[in-house]
Amino acid sequence: MSGRNRWLSAYAVIGYVFLFAPIVVLIIFSFNDSRRNFQWRGFTLDWYPTLLANDQLLDALFVTLRVAAVAVVVSTLLGTLFGLALARLRFRGRAATETLLLVPMVTPEIVMGLSLLVFFYQLFGSRGSFTQLALAHITFCISYVAIVVRARAAGMDPRLEEAARDLGASAFGAFRYVTLPLVAPAVLSGALLAFALSFDDYVVTTFNAGVGSSTLPLYIYGKVKFGVTPEINAISTLIVAVTAVVVLAAWRVSQRRAEATATDAGR
Amino acid sequence: MAEATDAGQRRATGDAVRAGSEGSVRSLGDRLAAAVLLVPGIAWLIAFFVVPLAMIFLVSLGSRDALDRIVLDQLSLDNYARAFDPGFLPTFFNSLRYAAATTVLSLAIGYPIAYWISRYGGRHKALLLILVMLPFWTSYLIRTYAWMIILRDNGVANSILQAVGLMHEPIILLNTDFSVILGMTYGFLPFAILPLYVSIDRLDPALIAAARDLYANGREAFLRVTLPLTVPGIVAATILTFIPAIGDFVTPDLLGGAQTTTIAKVVQELFLEGRDWPYGAALGFVLMVVTLGGTIVALRPLRAEVVGT
Amino acid sequence: MTERYDGSTIDLERELVRYLLRERLTRRDLLERIGRLGAAAALAPVIAACTTGGASSAPSASAAGPASAAPSTGPTATPEPTPVPSPESELFVYNWTDYIGDTTIPSFEAKYGIKVTYDFFSNTDEAYAKLGSDGGGYDLSFPISVDIPAFVKKDALLPLDKSLLPNIVNLGKEWSDPGYDPGNTHSVPYMWWTTGVAYDSTRIKDTPTSSKALWDARWAKHIAMLDDVQETFATALIQLGYSANTTDTSEMDQALALLEQQKPLVRLYSTDTITTMSSGDVWIGQIWGADLYQINQENENVVYYIPEEGGVRGSDTMAIFAGAKHPIAAHLFINHMLDAQVSAANTNFIGYMGPNAAAKEFISPDILADPSVNPDQALVDKLEELLDLGQDVRDEYLKRWQILRGG
Repeated sequence: MSGRNRWLSAYAVIGYVFLFAPIVVLIIFSFNDSRRNFQWRGFTLDWYPTLLANDQLLDALFVTLRVAAVAVVVSTLLGTLFGLALARLRFRGRAATETLLLVPMVTPEIVMGLSLLVFFYQLFGSRGSFTQLALAHITFCISYVAIVVRARAAGMDPRLEEAARDLGASAFGAFRYVTLPLVAPAVLSGALLAFALSFDDYVVTTFNAGVGSSTLPLYIYGKVKFGVTPEINAISTLIVAVTAVVVLAAWRVSQRRAEATATDAGR
Repeated sequence: MAEATDAGQRRATGDAVRAGSEGSVRSLGDRLAAAVLLVPGIAWLIAFFVVPLAMIFLVSLGSRDALDRIVLDQLSLDNYARAFDPGFLPTFFNSLRYAAATTVLSLAIGYPIAYWISRYGGRHKALLLILVMLPFWTSYLIRTYAWMIILRDNGVANSILQAVGLMHEPIILLNTDFSVILGMTYGFLPFAILPLYVSIDRLDPALIAAARDLYANGREAFLRVTLPLTVPGIVAATILTFIPAIGDFVTPDLLGGAQTTTIAKVVQELFLEGRDWPYGAALGFVLMVVTLGGTIVALRPLRAEVVGT
Repeated sequence: MTERYDGSTIDLERELVRYLLRERLTRRDLLERIGRLGAAAALAPVIAACTTGGASSAPSASAAGPASAAPSTGPTATPEPTPVPSPESELFVYNWTDYIGDTTIPSFEAKYGIKVTYDFFSNTDEAYAKLGSDGGGYDLSFPISVDIPAFVKKDALLPLDKSLLPNIVNLGKEWSDPGYDPGNTHSVPYMWWTTGVAYDSTRIKDTPTSSKALWDARWAKHIAMLDDVQETFATALIQLGYSANTTDTSEMDQALALLEQQKPLVRLYSTDTITTMSSGDVWIGQIWGADLYQINQENENVVYYIPEEGGVRGSDTMAIFAGAKHPIAAHLFINHMLDAQVSAANTNFIGYMGPNAAAKEFISPDILADPSVNPDQALVDKLEELLDLGQDVRDEYLKRWQILRGG
């Protein structure tokens, strides 16, 4: 490894430490023997069983996950198509289309939330519902996915697709075997961003969730007045833990596959 | 199959990038492709974004009665005239400052991390990306509380500074510009890292190696080859951090103090405490137009790089 | 329409006439009631009479049967009416998280078989935006008392049917005819509180008694104020000797000047007083008295006082919205909350005082003895209640607030 390599790696590690610093604090405080999140008062495991018995909180979590799942799938799909078009095609009204993409991001959340509230009430008589919430979430996620996909697809040589077509692939086949793998990392990135956006959304959700479909952020913010108990830390810790385990497992799997390939190649 | 196309990609140089993407819509098949790609997204945004926004725009032209109900009898631009109140400038500049600082820091911190993942991540790249996002699958409020625990007067940061002997008394870190920018940078970092990564990841290592050979040192190679080729990623990262950062009022509200009010908070207050939807909407629209206009103007020189026209 | 649910017959016509005579209603009045409340709600007392089959079926009259609690001091708690088999099986409530005793909803659900959906908000103004002018899908919510007059003017609230709220006699007499809602026609008070000053006695060794302590330069950057227009201006106005509800703009300007002098010393403006006072960064701050209970669980050195210049008290209410789909259930819920023991359970859990005189004997002695939550009446009488001053005045305050907060 060259010297530059070491500096860069060190820097990256520090970056990850920065990203996880508050998470470490958060996890530690999930064991805090206090109703609040500030002063450390002693160690206790009690918040975990309390969490598992807290139906309201768990329901809120499941609603959040369901909305996020829908939002991620649809917005990633629409956003990817959109991003590809912007990067690869020339068409009239392109500037307008780009602007259309940027406007949702510029819109203050309160404006977006209330506009959807008004829209759904005036046109459909709805005061909020799971569907309405999902539609709202999809709407603010699309732009993020599209912009990330565009960044990847920009400057992609169209001759690659043409070459594939020349070799006999259909338009769809060229898309599937040439374009898609090339933008795959961007699609994944867009999906990850969309999930984070949806999972933590508060303002738009407040005005579009129906009666009885409280999400995790709504539950948590509602607790500020009386104390955001370490139960919330506990649930966050569990989410991180579960995901980390999955990531670790996937890491091992891809590690083994790398080794297997190496062994195969070696033969 | 992906391997073959990667090889094909490796032939692209800066010029080819510009010249190649001419993909103009020629045949019917191409037109169909354009329709399939564009129509769903555009239709969705028009239905669920533009139309609702138009309704609120209508509200911004209206007024309210004594009971705070919206009245649309006489439409006018009065609210917009009020929105251009110079009294809003200090809070607007606060928002601008924070967003700019956040963007610059996110790019500066995010670029090396994205580069590292791309170059040294190997098979684990996707997992490393997920790891970047993982902290953000916890609750925003709790993460912010965690920062408060770290930054407060008797918190982790101050304890370390005092233990190491740099300070003898706690310095005020929380409820300041510093804590706001730190919190915002933290929150937007993934929005910088991911787009940067997708762009950096497309680079051909052979190209970098060649550049290294041509130029005297790594820095030159970076500045003259790597950086320009990753401009699309930089543009995307800038858009994904700067624009939402201007509208972020929660972080400055929680981590900030008496002096850190943002224009987004003012808009929020007009809607909620003031119950003046028309005025709040007008101010919101003014903010949107200014931000959008500014961003478009600022990015125009880089457009060619991004879309290859 | 002469069959009862269990198959036996009753003479509904006869009961109806009796009811009308007793209540001195004409059939026309009853029809109007039906139109307003829905048939079920309006006819509930009649149905109740039919089910108990008794003569004394007017629940608001004197009690028959056992009292629901031990002999009580103060106004006699009337017995629970025979639970009206509510035709409604659900209830949608919108409130702060945890702003209700932890056994209250389960006991309600068990008693009436009504399923309660309890949603949360974190900010009253946000809640109002969602409630709109008819409840936004919710039956019952907890608006602040100050905002009731505006809701009433907008016809957003359902007038209460007192015959379904026999427990209302439990309210202390000072709450039976509040200024914001004379006669409690559209709302029932829920909890009340005072606003004052809290400080950490380990950091601040003198014992301040004035609100001027919040302007003391010795505590620069360790002072907090509430992120609330009315509360912040109230403190300044009262210190200047004016009313917290003034409509005089020159007085408002003076208050603004005073607050601007304070601003460089202020660490932050926040309504999350518990976080603020527990973190150790703030040594003295403006808080709502009932929050002290929770603050002390983090830092027992924090002390509360109401400034000698005067202070403010506030309250919130329970109100049923015009678009409520389950008005009877909502009434039953309010009645349940007015029950002496339930009200005490709420107070004991949340740490706020209720307006329920009959509940006092069940409230924990710690809370009763705590002057921050339960100051004595003489002090309470000196406090001003924040009023809804109308849109124009509110705009004047908000304008100055934004000048104050502007970076």
